[in-house]
Amino acid sequence: MSIEAQSILNETFVLNLGPQHPATHGVLRVKLTMDGEYIMDADPVIGYGHRMHEKMGENRSYAKFLPNTGRMDYIAALFNGHGYVGAVERLAGITVPERAEYIRVITSELNRISSHLLWLGAFLVDLGGFTPLLYCFDDREQILDLLESVTGSRLTFCYYRFGGVSSDIDENFAAGTRTFISRLRSRMPMYDGFVTKNIIFRKRVEGIGPISAEVCRKYGATGPVIRGSGVAYDVRKSEPYSVYPKFNFDIPVYHECDSMARYKVRIEEMVQSMRIIEQALDTLPLGPVMAEKVPRTLKPAKGDCYYNVESARGSFGVRLVSDGSENAYRLKLRSPCFSNMSLFRECSAGMLLPDALALMGSLDLVIPDMDR
Amino acid sequence: MEKQVEVPPGLIHFAMLDDVLNLARANSLWPMTFGLACCAIEMMATGASRFDMSRFGCEVFRPSPRQSDFMIVCGTISRKMAPAVITLYDQMPEPKWVLAMGNCAISGGPFKFPGQYGIVEGVDQLFPVDVYVPGCPPRPEALIEGILKLEEKIRGKRCYPIVEAQ
Amino acid sequence: MKAFLLKSKFEVIALQGIPAPVAGVETATAPLPLVIEMEHAARGTNLDVTVPAERVVDAAKILDDAKFMIEAITGVDWLADRQLEVVYDFTHAASGERVTVRTRISRDQPKLPTISHIYGGANWHERETHDFFGIIFTGHPQLIPLLLPEDARFHPLRKDFTA
Repeated sequence: MSIEAQSILNETFVLNLGPQHPATHGVLRVKLTMDGEYIMDADPVIGYGHRMHEKMGENRSYAKFLPNTGRMDYIAALFNGHGYVGAVERLAGITVPERAEYIRVITSELNRISSHLLWLGAFLVDLGGFTPLLYCFDDREQILDLLESVTGSRLTFCYYRFGGVSSDIDENFAAGTRTFISRLRSRMPMYDGFVTKNIIFRKRVEGIGPISAEVCRKYGATGPVIRGSGVAYDVRKSEPYSVYPKFNFDIPVYHECDSMARYKVRIEEMVQSMRIIEQALDTLPLGPVMAEKVPRTLKPAKGDCYYNVESARGSFGVRLVSDGSENAYRLKLRSPCFSNMSLFRECSAGMLLPDALALMGSLDLVIPDMDR
Repeated sequence: MEKQVEVPPGLIHFAMLDDVLNLARANSLWPMTFGLACCAIEMMATGASRFDMSRFGCEVFRPSPRQSDFMIVCGTISRKMAPAVITLYDQMPEPKWVLAMGNCAISGGPFKFPGQYGIVEGVDQLFPVDVYVPGCPPRPEALIEGILKLEEKIRGKRCYPIVEAQ
Repeated sequence: MKAFLLKSKFEVIALQGIPAPVAGVETATAPLPLVIEMEHAARGTNLDVTVPAERVVDAAKILDDAKFMIEAITGVDWLADRQLEVVYDFTHAASGERVTVRTRISRDQPKLPTISHIYGGANWHERETHDFFGIIFTGHPQLIPLLLPEDARFHPLRKDFTA
């Protein structure tokens, strides 16, 4: 830097945020060039959670990769499983029975609600409010009990199989889910009064972290980020998959583009997910939960395909290239957090550091999903 | 029947005061928030409303290593992250303990395969570990049992009953 | 914007040169399919376009003008052909249409022009592809390792990689 640049009035310093930091939701490092409390440049350094999923996709068979899918975005693990299983089914031409599709939708939407509840707690912790975390985890534990009874795990689910799901749901699950939904519905006004109408929370997020729709398009940001910027893009409606076309639900879209808009999108998504689950439970058909004649060692036809699902964080995609053998030739995992975070550098320039953290919290990041 | 565990000898012995100090240390272990991956969520669940780690004195998660007693390594340590982990361990003041939570911290877990290029196969390759809690991820009850095991190691005897399987 | 409406624009740039065959390697004798329209449910894309490496920036400009958003950029290592394939995925938010753009480059001299000045999101995707395959994106402002350690000089997703 030149002598003029080093004058006391425009002296900048480099501050390291992370990789161990309570607000970075995992091992994310951001090299901040600061002028006092204002961020001049924020350069994210990722890769501290890189666990070689794409390499593992190539050196093991399709079925042996299934546990990995639960460990990428572990908070919303069923969506990753759905994306991977859907890509293989698309390439291998396997048709999933209807009951299995309904069960996939019910468990996925329960997972979406639990992911948003965890995000809500963590977002408020970032902003300094510790109490909502305890309420959110209380609700979340009920969902985890339901999902544990049917999948066997609490967090890193490995429930979907090629051609269906591994085990059927029973009356206890359906009754428990209905009880949970009515309980959560009765608690939503509490969250509304406790968090949404809280003046301190509103001052921290209203007008903070604007992300325009054009920036979302240039960076490929999807999910609540793009829906909070006024674009009604949801893979469940734009590129329908599974049995989502059979249900009535709305896509929440807000146009303010700030962190409050992204927050409201996620709260509304929880309400819509509850609608989907109730409709699915009411119209659940009888039948098998696994397709017949799925070979033990799957060898899909040569070629490649892309399959994407609407995860809790955005559009999760899988590009699968098969060469006819029992291992995938190339497995590309398109992570929503990766694209959502890539716009942080452009959007955080000139912001105060606490506001930038509010922006990062509203992006809903899971670092191992970014790093794969 | 309680099992007597040998507490490692130190340089200066205070006799009865040692027991009192160890009792204080064991009952107020302050963990460092070191969530790396999936196990971090189960650690958060252990600290949250249903499982409530604060019953055992461990509620106060310190983000700074300078203020913490022990480090719960939850998650996979990648080779890029390893220097930062070692720095954090060195920054913790004595006496300090390490609890390796989850299969990744014990031995690399599901990410250990021949030809792997990215992870450290177990945190005990970097620094000594006191308690290993297996699982992928371990249930919050398992993590609490691991913390009680650590308290047993510090105090020399276990003061909570062992839960028998039914 | 319906993807098939872009078909003619892509055909113009795709016809401007099929990727040059690598010396000493036999490539397929059938003509390269250039622009294929397909059903979304079949392969997860509406338009599959193969362009020569030099025309990637023009393809990205066509999609940017048509308001598509960048979804992913990835590479595939075709060791037997001694080529690296780079696949770009684009989505149109309003209509849900998808376009896939492919190009092939030589494995020994993998160079491709960057599209990060058109799509900011391509910055990180190209860094990741460089990490995994060693492809040099000429004109990229910050082509340093993204997911691998800063001093990494290996490219793990190449088929001949050994740890």
